[in-house]
Amino acid sequence: MADEKDTAGKVMHEEETSVKITDEGRYLYCVASSNSNENFADIGIDDSNVYTILYNDIAAVVHKCPAKPYESKDEKIVGEWILSHQYVTDEATKKFGTVMPFSFDTIIIGSDEEVKEWLKEGYSALKDKLEKVKDKAEYTVQIFSDRTAIMEKISENNPDIKKLKEDIKTKSKGMAYLLNKKLEAKVKDVFIDTLNRYAKDFHSHIKNYVEDIKVESTKKPVPDKWKGKQMIIDLSCLAHKGKVDELGKILDEINKKKEFSVRFTGPWAPFSFVGKETGGRK
Amino acid sequence: MVVDIDEGNLKQGLLGLVVALVEIIQEALEHQAFRRMESGRLNEKETERLGNALMELDEALEHIKKENDIEDAVKSVRDGLDRVADEVIGKMINPERWEDEIIKADKDSTG
Repeated sequence: MADEKDTAGKVMHEEETSVKITDEGRYLYCVASSNSNENFADIGIDDSNVYTILYNDIAAVVHKCPAKPYESKDEKIVGEWILSHQYVTDEATKKFGTVMPFSFDTIIIGSDEEVKEWLKEGYSALKDKLEKVKDKAEYTVQIFSDRTAIMEKISENNPDIKKLKEDIKTKSKGMAYLLNKKLEAKVKDVFIDTLNRYAKDFHSHIKNYVEDIKVESTKKPVPDKWKGKQMIIDLSCLAHKGKVDELGKILDEINKKKEFSVRFTGPWAPFSFVGKETGGRK
Repeated sequence: MVVDIDEGNLKQGLLGLVVALVEIIQEALEHQAFRRMESGRLNEKETERLGNALMELDEALEHIKKENDIEDAVKSVRDGLDRVADEVIGKMINPERWEDEIIKADKDSTG
């Protein structure tokens, strides 16, 4: 996903309890619902062998590694690691249905036994999360606005602005100058209010088509395709597989308006909806 | 670290900063002018004179900017300050402005 770079090179957390020092670790890709042990062959980071560690009906998808984080100053190498991480998550999703993904560089210190212990301890929480994301996937919805089109709409529809514009025409030069400045400020205020109102409306509309929704910060760079436009909303949506088409349709409707463009991406593993409470222990 | 100062660059930067500051003062004056206009403390003649003076200042600044090729330098100072101010007062396209309302509305509807 877009913030892959941000998660790279994260420092591995220390084991909370002081267990015996060991240099063995298990790199954790995801946790899935499964009833048998599986081997995914050498598809992991640096061609590691990826396999599952089973506890009851849940399984951790891992590879064997030293108990230290993957770190590199070479962005290309980190990029490849992240792609491999993503690839394993995708393969596991194909095999087991929606998985509970973990972020890059999540390493459990210890051997298969420690991982099994970790699954056992977190079993009910992990199971709940897996139930929650079952048959669902994460989608990203970003809506961009076109400044010129919005401005046009505002100056056509806002009565205060229309009146001010009429007023200015009748005034002498100095007075008109001052009123024009007032107009500019007013337009800016209305513009921001309008966009925030649209964003709020889109959110309440989209919410009806998804199981869960998260509002992300819009303070991020706009992709090249929409350069010059302003991102007014960025949503992570957990959508049921059967409902994605419907969601797509309403987004199409929004995209048809000349004031807005929609970027709809996915399916992703449900990173935004599995929470820290189960993912935090490493 | 060696700071490489190019005379032209320095002039542009410094002049850009000065003009940006004058523009900000000008906007403050304009703001005051409205308030006086709207509260009736200025009559029409005075308002006209004030408006004209501010307009001339505006034109002079535009002229200086063009002549010295510092439009970009001024814009960058202004954009930087605007961003800081917008973030402080939260006056921007910002989900935080409506997110709380939604959460509150959800709570109300679910009781």
